[in-house]
Amino acid sequence: MRRALFRSIVFAAGVLTVAVIWSPPVAGQASKNRPVIAGCPSVSAKFHPCALEKAKTFSPPRMPDGTPNLQGIWDAPLAMGFQNVEDFPGDPSPGGFGPAVTVIVDPTDGKVPYFPWARAQRDENIKKYIDPYAQCLPTGVPRQMANFRTRQITQSGSMISIVNEAGGHIYRVVYMDGRPHLSAAFKLWMGDSLGRWDGTTLVIETTNLNGRWWYDSMGHFASDALKVTERLTLVDADTLHYQATMEDPKVYTRPWTIVFPLERIKEKGYEQMEEACHEGDHDAAGFVLGGYQPYVGPRFPQ
Amino acid sequence: MKPIVFALLVIALDPASSRAQSRTVPRTADGKPDLSGIWQVMNTAAWDIQDHQAQKGVPAGQGVVEGNELPYTPAALEKKKVNFASRAAADPETKCFLPGVPRITYMPFPFQIVQTPAQVTILYEYAHAVRNIFMSTPHIEGQLYWWMGDSRGRWDGDTLVVDVTDFNDETWFDRAGNFHSDALHVVERYTLADQDHITYEATIEDPKVFTRPWKMNMILNRHREKNFRLLEYECFSF
Repeated sequence: MRRALFRSIVFAAGVLTVAVIWSPPVAGQASKNRPVIAGCPSVSAKFHPCALEKAKTFSPPRMPDGTPNLQGIWDAPLAMGFQNVEDFPGDPSPGGFGPAVTVIVDPTDGKVPYFPWARAQRDENIKKYIDPYAQCLPTGVPRQMANFRTRQITQSGSMISIVNEAGGHIYRVVYMDGRPHLSAAFKLWMGDSLGRWDGTTLVIETTNLNGRWWYDSMGHFASDALKVTERLTLVDADTLHYQATMEDPKVYTRPWTIVFPLERIKEKGYEQMEEACHEGDHDAAGFVLGGYQPYVGPRFPQ
Repeated sequence: MKPIVFALLVIALDPASSRAQSRTVPRTADGKPDLSGIWQVMNTAAWDIQDHQAQKGVPAGQGVVEGNELPYTPAALEKKKVNFASRAAADPETKCFLPGVPRITYMPFPFQIVQTPAQVTILYEYAHAVRNIFMSTPHIEGQLYWWMGDSRGRWDGDTLVVDVTDFNDETWFDRAGNFHSDALHVVERYTLADQDHITYEATIEDPKVFTRPWKMNMILNRHREKNFRLLEYECFSF
């Protein structure tokens, strides 16, 4: 309990503090600390084939209705909030981010396959705009799954909920009852998520996203045409292989895929706490004063 | 008609029969009433929990407070009047802050209850607010100052009772300036009246602001529209 309380106090200090002053143990650094996860190399390019091979021989626990039981509280020790989805050499300036190893497994060069104008916009994003997450805006998908601290998966009837602790109270409800997606009139921060089972893999298709968030702190972005297809597969009792494929014909030349592990929190009595973000965040104004502007989404070439 | 069938019909048709009630209320595998689903109030308490006439942009409404009057201390009543006069800007909800408990229940937005034996989670469309109601662990030791409080649940027969403590003093009960301190203690009671209605009662205790505990009552209505789902009201993103 004391530890949990400490966490909430630390994070009450605000996302901006986390993003700028504290250089989090992100992909590259963490993979040095955790070279092996679930018996697989932790770097995404190697974890991906290794973990899926292991999953073939793992028989997951089941819900009463026979579907795989993915319930629990999950940490993303290697993704850690997506400092950068691509390789990053590290920024030596004070408060700069450390190096990161890409979580992109396809294409194999580890780069987001942007159209040239979109690559230029990504470069402009980090120079001109505030990471929407630092303004306490919702993470979108897939950043929800990579976000700092934990997310809780609950399976109940024909829906699955994914509720995060950090990021200013965000959640998704994944409907499993075969309903159609919302009409294109809806553009949502967290999108419209529909799920199904492919063997022991939970497949979630998310559309109706609003294109106003970034994947990471480095300006990587999508438009409101994005479709995200996630695949969650238990590798062993306490490890999920998490995969997300992004398709957005307005921004990318081809689909691209990221992979990272999710690890179960096994601490007895662990409970997700309240994290108010906007309610206590007076830092966004400082960002604006510093010359950065709120990000409102991609500007397409004329 | 065979006597046994007739007897069953009588039980099923008699609203006073507790056996009939137990048949009509959906239940989880562990036998508890199943509150899962998407719910919403049909009242105007978010504007004013007490009886109020219509104003421009505010529908009239009969209050949700038992007896209508709130037992403010004299000093607190003065503060309430000041709040009311400045409500358009002073209500914390106008800043898109989390609205606290029980106000989140009667915001004019739907919410979804996700029920498991160890935890009842409520997902609110308003600002992606979340409440985790833990069913088998005590309140966190020491005082926290949370917008939505620390919620611990238990079953009292067929009623989900939620004890909520550890609030901050920064939320109001409504747009009309009704308020509380950080000594607020809320006890909520959720009872399935039938498949599609929950009777909701909240007992409010706050010795710094009120001279005695008082209660709100309202009905939560199940959304039965086909493919109904929570959308988003990301308040401060507009």
